[in-house]
Amino acid sequence: MGLFTRERQTVPCTVTISHCFDELSAHVRFNDGSVVGPGDTVEVQGAEIMAPYGEVVSEDRTAIITRASGIERLWTRATGDFEFMELCEFSFSEEALS
Amino acid sequence: MNAPTRNIAHSADAKTVEEGLAAQNFDGPVDSTAATEVAMQNTLLTPRFYTTDFDEMDAIDVSPVRADWDELIGRMKSDPNKGHFKKNEDWDHIDWEGMEPKLRAEFIDFLISSCTAEFSGCVLYKEMKRRGSNEDIVTLFQLMARDEARHAGFINDALREAGIAVNLGFLTQAKKYTYFRPKFIYYATYLSEKIGYARYITIYRHLEANPDKRFHPIFKWFKEWCNDEFSHGEAFALLMKSDPKLTSGVNKLWIKFFLTAVFSTMWVRDHQRPAFHEALGVDPAWYGQEVFRKTSEISRQVFPLTLDIDHPRWVPGLDRLDRANRQIAAAKKRGGVGGKLSQWAGSAKAGAAFLSLLLIPSVPCEVPVSPRMEPAY
Repeated sequence: MGLFTRERQTVPCTVTISHCFDELSAHVRFNDGSVVGPGDTVEVQGAEIMAPYGEVVSEDRTAIITRASGIERLWTRATGDFEFMELCEFSFSEEALS
Repeated sequence: MNAPTRNIAHSADAKTVEEGLAAQNFDGPVDSTAATEVAMQNTLLTPRFYTTDFDEMDAIDVSPVRADWDELIGRMKSDPNKGHFKKNEDWDHIDWEGMEPKLRAEFIDFLISSCTAEFSGCVLYKEMKRRGSNEDIVTLFQLMARDEARHAGFINDALREAGIAVNLGFLTQAKKYTYFRPKFIYYATYLSEKIGYARYITIYRHLEANPDKRFHPIFKWFKEWCNDEFSHGEAFALLMKSDPKLTSGVNKLWIKFFLTAVFSTMWVRDHQRPAFHEALGVDPAWYGQEVFRKTSEISRQVFPLTLDIDHPRWVPGLDRLDRANRQIAAAKKRGGVGGKLSQWAGSAKAGAAFLSLLLIPSVPCEVPVSPRMEPAY
């Protein structure tokens, strides 16, 4: 990892989407065991994916992981905590509606 | 396919998945692109993605709270709410077209935001499950991911009925992973689950007493829903209890900060949704204080302090924060140099209001030896 340079990696992944009454979820798993770190960006290649209602679909795709540079990683570690409010469930979006 | 399958107009009226798929709104080719039907309004879910120090989290040892832990996990595994989150005969018909437009907009915002929150929780918990190797931790996160996905599915169902399809387009867009220290995940998710419980149960009890204000059937499901939230909060309470450092020393200041931030954010966001609260017959200020009171009472199980929500500066401070926030929103809308200046002034006011709330002395409390609680409201 360079201090200022970002590295791009292409990794195989599996996208699983469940669109059922008892489960709405979507997960991306890297098949080669790659893991993401603070500040990394992940982009799954290809067209949008959505399961028809009542179904679970699983597709093999390719993902591009753009590794954060050393500086970015430090910055994300230092400041990421302050986005914690997004974890809280207030049941309303931030924006004023009117 | 189950027989007989009734011919119904909309999948929302379906009693089974098979019926739903056979409903008229599923006519036409159902492939992954047609799945978010053309007729439906699309809404893009925008969950957040987090990483943390998974090794640190994996090193948690729950032995100090083993008995409580095993009991809680055992109950979650037995899955008392399985099958609960689906529509049944209690799901009354909703006249979406006839709903007052402002209420409709605020209620849909409520559903989408709730769905996104459940979804983000599910993604986070699943990631922790995947990255961990500690059996206790992995089991807990797996169970919580299950519940969150189930809640998201249920809200999604309600949204579909309103003609809104969620779109998971974020999957194929670049998404950046931010970072939380494990202890911040504990504080934030613990509070989020417990305040979620207090919010839902307060509305549920209010509507029990005033059934004429129940403008949507989803509120009838709030009790079981919030019991799930309560259990998740219990698990985080035990995790924090397993390491006394997390709730002592300088971490007390973090706890106070989190409590203040979470309470004041809720206050501001609720006050931005007047039509929603009016339809429920709830005054957002009363509701806020009621939820804070319940959350404080519960959080004494593990936090060594509570906020003094009866302090003379508390409610006025929240109102100042709310006004500053409105100023920022109006300034952003206006744009231009004047807008920018007004926005900065609003941010300064908001910062000052938040600081003044943070400086209200907290109330110390004795934490019990065993934190375990049952939902009692």
